[in-house]
Amino acid sequence: MKAHGLLPKRPTPIPMEAAMQLEVRHLTKVYRERRGLLQTRFNVEKGELIAIVGHNGAGKSTLLKILAGWIVPDGGDVWVEGVDFKNRLALVRKIGFIPETPNLFDFFSVEYNLKLFARLFKIPFSRIEETLEEFNLRPFRRHAIRELSKGLQQRVSIGRALLPEPPLLLFDEPTSGLDFEMTKEIYRLLKKIHASGKTILFTSHRPEEIQTLATRIMVLHQGGLAFDGSPQEYFQSKIHENLYA
Amino acid sequence: MIRNIAALTLNDLAIAFKNKTLFLILFVPLFIFFSLQWVDRTEAPLQKVKIGLIQGESYFPEMVQNIQSAKNVFDVFWFSNEAEGQRWLKEKKGDGLLVPSEKEPERLELIILTKASFQTVAVVESLSALQIAVEGKRKNWISGIRPLQEGEVQKQTLPTWILMVVLLVGFIVLPAQVAEEKEKKLLLGLLQTPMREAEWLLAKVFLGMILTGLAAILLQLLGRFHFDFAGGFSYAAFLAVGSFCFSAFGICLGFLCRSQASARTLGVLFYLPHLLPSALSDFSQKLNTIAPLLPSYQLYGPIKSILLEGGRLPQFSPEWGYLFFIGLSASFLSYLLMKRRWLM
Repeated sequence: MKAHGLLPKRPTPIPMEAAMQLEVRHLTKVYRERRGLLQTRFNVEKGELIAIVGHNGAGKSTLLKILAGWIVPDGGDVWVEGVDFKNRLALVRKIGFIPETPNLFDFFSVEYNLKLFARLFKIPFSRIEETLEEFNLRPFRRHAIRELSKGLQQRVSIGRALLPEPPLLLFDEPTSGLDFEMTKEIYRLLKKIHASGKTILFTSHRPEEIQTLATRIMVLHQGGLAFDGSPQEYFQSKIHENLYA
Repeated sequence: MIRNIAALTLNDLAIAFKNKTLFLILFVPLFIFFSLQWVDRTEAPLQKVKIGLIQGESYFPEMVQNIQSAKNVFDVFWFSNEAEGQRWLKEKKGDGLLVPSEKEPERLELIILTKASFQTVAVVESLSALQIAVEGKRKNWISGIRPLQEGEVQKQTLPTWILMVVLLVGFIVLPAQVAEEKEKKLLLGLLQTPMREAEWLLAKVFLGMILTGLAAILLQLLGRFHFDFAGGFSYAAFLAVGSFCFSAFGICLGFLCRSQASARTLGVLFYLPHLLPSALSDFSQKLNTIAPLLPSYQLYGPIKSILLEGGRLPQFSPEWGYLFFIGLSASFLSYLLMKRRWLM
């Protein structure tokens, strides 16, 4: 692994021995402003809860958006449970993506948004009831999305992503713009989802969030993977200090 | 696939309802109909031309006699002087004032309020008819005024309104809706479902065709225009291919824009150059030469011929094929841009 000037050189082993849930190889996306993602390579095992950290423009969101199919990469390969990420129709059942700003049809109700996606996924509507129950959204089922707080919208967004029960979930800054109570609620949800056996990757700027949630931390710096290890290793090392100095 | 397209089309219609686009599309025919009601009342009594004459002026006696005798056509008003007559005109109580010409004492000068008005046309038509009658070229000169009042403007202008609605949906409504879905990342959200890109595109094209169809049906119902089967089929075939072509074109424009605001601007940049040269081509020789170069004329020309001249689909199969080809090309380009996640 190539370490960048800012961070100490440190070999970061990629766990190759286990059956991988996500395999990323030489993933590259370079924008006109010469930033993005450069030859990124890593594996993710089932059940991991990974925090992806780094400066603004380090490539965190780009990585998640490529995995979610929002951005077409310049090169590289990704497999999710053996499915090539170019096979979008198969991949959408494997990956759920929750963007930083919920992308819901805000004219319409919570129930309408869930129903539309259930129809497209050909999921029985009984699953909607379960989702509304699971995310405490029953009282808001007929409320238009635009009438809800950002925290509630985020809950709907998570619920919608979980409708087809994908094994891998991607969260782009899940608590950005949320107040303390809602942040705690999202932490609780993330832990609950993780406990149910899902694999989660999330981007974050908040050290307490990383410490509370992550079982593994990946640091992206200038488009490259600069650190990949456990939270203990991360907080014991100078990486965190250097990154946010 | 059909289920997905149906779900997406219904979703698009629901969006069109929520953001009032549907009302705009229904408002346009209603507005056109009620505006033209004032122009196009065939059952309304023949309106007389109110002509003013000045007392004491030396008019051609035969003319005055003829004007006064044509009581069904002219209402004659006498004024003591020209200033009084002009005041009468300015108050829009009359259509024209006849005074002897200063330059040529034997001829008359017509004073009217504005040159480009129906009243002016009526007065000039009536007077030229009068002149012909006086010269003995045509006896029944009053019948020459009738076409001015009959009009049937609604049907004559129907091709223009149809073109306007098709282009409105294609260049104003759809680019903004596509850009909005891109801007709010709604399309990316839908692309995280097993929906195919082609299904989304077809749903959007269907939305454009449904909106255009609704407006056309409303225009048809309000205007109570009648066609025979072949005429109706030809009309429907061109309406379908035209709305397909310009809806696909508009969707493609939406993909070229990052935001709703830029999509609206780009839409207007395409809307007016497609609408005006075609719609005004009957009034200008130059426009008549330029307009056939535009795809919009390939819709306008055949629709006009079908509605007004009894034209039929087989006569216009090259135009139909051309519009279908443009629509297909635009759809394919949109598909490629969607696959590339262009400006999303």
